[in-house]
Amino acid sequence: MQARLPSPQDYATRRRLRPWLTNGAMIAIVALLMLPIALTLSTSFKREQDVLRRPPVLLPCDGPDGQFRLSQCRFDIEGYERVIAPRPDVSSLLGFRLTGRMFSTYVPNTLLYALASSGLVFVMSGLAGYAFSRYRFRGRRALMVAILAITGIPLLTNLLALYQMAVDLRKAGIPGYDERMFIIAVYIGFQLPFSVWIVKGFFDTIPRELEEAAFIDGCTPIGALWRIVVPLAMPGLLAAFLLCFVNVWNEFIAGYLLITKRELRTVMFGMYDFLSQNIINYQVVAAACVLIAAPVVILFLLTRRTFFQAMTEGAVKG
Amino acid sequence: MATQAQTASTSPRSASKRIRQGGFFSQTLPFWLLLPMLLVIAAIQFYPGFYSIWLSFQERQGAVWNFVGLRNFERIFGSAAFRESIGHTAVFLVGYVVVTMAASLVIALLLNRKLKLSGVYISLIFIPWVIADVIAGLVFGLLVVPDYGLLSPILSNPALFPPNGLSIPSDPAPRPWISGFPFPPAPAMYYLILATAWRALPFVTLLILAALKTVPHEIIESARIDGASSFQALRFITLPLILPTLVVALFNLILGGMNGIGLVFTLTRGGPGTATEVLSFLLYTIGFGRLEFGRAAALSVFIAIINLTLIILTLRVSRTEERTA
Amino acid sequence: MFDQRPVSARRITPSLAAFAALSLLMAACAPAAPAAPAAPAATEAPAAPAATEAPAAPAAEVKDFITWYQYDEKNEDPKSDERVGNEYLRKTIPLFNEAFKDKWRWINQPQPFDKMATSLVAAVQAGGEVPDLMQAGDSAIIPFIKNGTVQDLTDWVKAQPWFADLDASAVAACTGPDGKIYCVPVAMTPQIVFAWKDYFPDGYPKTPEEFKKVAEELKAKNVAAITFFGSTAFDGEGTTRFTNTIIKSFGGTFDDGQGNMKLDTPENVAAIEFLREIIAAGYVHPRTWDGTTTPFVEEEPMKTAEAASFPTGIFGYRYVNPLKAPSGKEYNKGNEEDMLDAITAGDVFIAPFFAPEGKKPGCGTGVSVFVIPNGAKNPEAAKDYINWIMTKEQNPDWVLGPGGGFPALRSMLPEIEARAPVAKAFYEQAAAAVAASECRPWYGSLERRDEAKKIIQSTVYKLIKEDPTADISATLKAAEEEYNKGN
Repeated sequence: MQARLPSPQDYATRRRLRPWLTNGAMIAIVALLMLPIALTLSTSFKREQDVLRRPPVLLPCDGPDGQFRLSQCRFDIEGYERVIAPRPDVSSLLGFRLTGRMFSTYVPNTLLYALASSGLVFVMSGLAGYAFSRYRFRGRRALMVAILAITGIPLLTNLLALYQMAVDLRKAGIPGYDERMFIIAVYIGFQLPFSVWIVKGFFDTIPRELEEAAFIDGCTPIGALWRIVVPLAMPGLLAAFLLCFVNVWNEFIAGYLLITKRELRTVMFGMYDFLSQNIINYQVVAAACVLIAAPVVILFLLTRRTFFQAMTEGAVKG
Repeated sequence: MATQAQTASTSPRSASKRIRQGGFFSQTLPFWLLLPMLLVIAAIQFYPGFYSIWLSFQERQGAVWNFVGLRNFERIFGSAAFRESIGHTAVFLVGYVVVTMAASLVIALLLNRKLKLSGVYISLIFIPWVIADVIAGLVFGLLVVPDYGLLSPILSNPALFPPNGLSIPSDPAPRPWISGFPFPPAPAMYYLILATAWRALPFVTLLILAALKTVPHEIIESARIDGASSFQALRFITLPLILPTLVVALFNLILGGMNGIGLVFTLTRGGPGTATEVLSFLLYTIGFGRLEFGRAAALSVFIAIINLTLIILTLRVSRTEERTA
Repeated sequence: MFDQRPVSARRITPSLAAFAALSLLMAACAPAAPAAPAAPAATEAPAAPAATEAPAAPAAEVKDFITWYQYDEKNEDPKSDERVGNEYLRKTIPLFNEAFKDKWRWINQPQPFDKMATSLVAAVQAGGEVPDLMQAGDSAIIPFIKNGTVQDLTDWVKAQPWFADLDASAVAACTGPDGKIYCVPVAMTPQIVFAWKDYFPDGYPKTPEEFKKVAEELKAKNVAAITFFGSTAFDGEGTTRFTNTIIKSFGGTFDDGQGNMKLDTPENVAAIEFLREIIAAGYVHPRTWDGTTTPFVEEEPMKTAEAASFPTGIFGYRYVNPLKAPSGKEYNKGNEEDMLDAITAGDVFIAPFFAPEGKKPGCGTGVSVFVIPNGAKNPEAAKDYINWIMTKEQNPDWVLGPGGGFPALRSMLPEIEARAPVAKAFYEQAAAAVAASECRPWYGSLERRDEAKKIIQSTVYKLIKEDPTADISATLKAAEEEYNKGN
């Protein structure tokens, strides 16, 4: 491209064309990025005969003559049925039971860990974020830099030591000790630093005058926090909650290594383990991927604004 | 640490002032607010950090740990597996960072042109970020299953990949240009890079986009009117302005790439051969595959030092001073 | 979008509420979950559901008997890869619980097959949840002994009536360097070759030269003469299979007999040169190395008769199905009987591998064993179980199902053939193939077997696939030094 002054006509033409070109490019990019997901969806709805075809078919819609006909489509939910494995059970609420380990064991476990750790992160990051945002105390800045530095520490290098800690705790025979508590603590430890930063950023945007007005009305600092600041900072706190939820749901290696009891393991372990029993059943693996990814994808799409805001807030500002 | 409230506040009627007037509990309120966080971080971040260092000098014999000095480090650094995986990690990181940064920059620049649908685009683009790395690995793995994978007709087409087509699960790397350094990489490495970039791209795009929004439109417009091409405007005005963000994104990517394991775990498991055996996977193999905790701890201390260096650099660049003000 | 700073909490709350409701619904649909979402404090999860469901039996007396198998009786998927073993457990668990109904309640905890041994060592070391009994392979025994993972069973085993009937080599596989017996062998799984009769009308080749001749003819028909586990998947599992078979057939080994790795030998170099030659000539099916992203794809060409022969463990008969013969005849029950049917019908035959003139075909042995870990809560249950499995009623089913090979109890073979007439031809041919080979465990005197198998398979892969021009002797030397440094 050359550096020349565009003529007014040129400029006008470009102005009109540009949105079209840009949109075209964006649609192409989005389509490309969505391709793996689309192909997995299509695989997950195929029947076994159509999965094991050579060459593979994109959509199982060709007739015997090889022509594509929409009416010929043979979509099936066999893959999904094999993941969920529903069995009739009159004693159950809906008249059937999900017997696949994925939904009878791993999903409830992961929900427990994710909700517990996000809830506690919600509370702890609220308290800490408020302290950082509202009080000036000795060591504040150093502490904040330290917290920011910790956000970069990955789980991987701490895993061996955490594993040994779990061993020590288990052998110490502490009454009431439970692997679930330990894994929840680990998740909190790794999600909290980033959340504190997000939440602090939200507290910073709330004018102090509001609290001061509350003080004058006779509120204690805790009262002011609870009645005035928390409701206003709710978007930030929810963002911390959501990010933590998604991260814990998606976490694999800690859940895999730190939990020894199979009945307590997480959904990502379930995904990994699923392979050892279904190596060649591609449609089943695809269906499992879809089922396990769907909850967080839907959650994200419903709350995407919070996500975006939290992430730009936490990582970009400054 | 944070027991004393101080007076460095801006408004005379601020909360800090109230603290000084209150009782012991009120005076130490910030400490109590921070306590839960401090406890958890001490237990889950600091203690294991030091524990790792201790472990790296130990070796388990039967049920007891014996001090072995630097033997673990000698054995790790002296092993061919470590040297190879340094090479693989380097190739992986460079490829992954370049692909992700370039693609993200292009997408962010496009999205920055006020489009009606940009909200829809970015929501869709962001979906890969929400998908777990384990699942991303499975998804990408399914696509290249020989014969049955939906990409296999393309890959096995000799016209596109001569002479016999391409098999990502098994085709070896071409002869290395420099002996002992795995470049050019194996097809599986390219594929691993693509899959990892696919997941990392949304986040980096978002970072860059947010930075682009802070670049004032007027400067670009006036430069364009002064005769700068759009490339020149990008090169000399926009890029320098968003450089700090790019550097932060870069360090974030390297950190994530160094320590991510879920994708390698489900996509290649270090194979074919050792073509995609990166440091994080080697650490897993030694630590939890062979239960050689001392050696693995030595390796994790090595990785942790690289991580800390990256973190410190990030903090320098991202103008922490302003953020903590 | 980023300009709108304050996001209304109201907009998110309904979505969150909907999500929470969904989660609860999902949890409600799964009552089998041990009440996990509601009560994090409730421990002893695995036992809990069974305990509450159990009828008003004398609860205090009946104790849990916990096993680790690679099979999952709760996976009722008729097409799961492990359907044979899953089905076996599903059928057998109630039988055992009935037979010991006042004493034991069998609870199986499935484990991924390639992680079981490591998990057990880790669990014993870590004071984690340890089973009362685990099914293992013989190659795990020495690591188990070194780590103090398993119990010494010498006195007990020798006192059992079935001890005298055990195959001597199987007992040897369970014997530690100290002469004590640490496991109970149940089935033996040597390596053999499955081959399509139509492609080898004159039988399987006896020497490398014969093989090349037949392979050239098959190549003209667009059929690969051989497929095998050639990938580095499962941390080098291939070492224990084909790599071992070909090295041993050429008279080579992996060790020096003193616990050191020894790869750089003329025999090993000859074996790898032969491999390079047949690969370059196009006799080996390309799927052979494709197991990286999806393991075990090397079986596919055998199933479809695109490859003419498949050297693997005898247990392979359970997995290689459905089958389609070169003639187009299909065996598609989709279970272990397909291979047995094909062998009975004469479409597939079992043969020893080939070996150079003057050498005996090599063959890896495997022994399926039971171990009782240290820290097992009810080792007595495990002993009752082993005695039960050693009975004439139970043993054939175990050997045919999870074992997938020859019975370690020598008197059981006729019993098995009587129970499953379809297996008769299979056992006869397999026995002949094993008799014609020299079967030894792959690891010899090597002790760090997980590390060794990964190094060996990666090295062989490198020499035959990645860099077919690399110096074989030097590369093997470097690999053995890498291992021996750790000694």
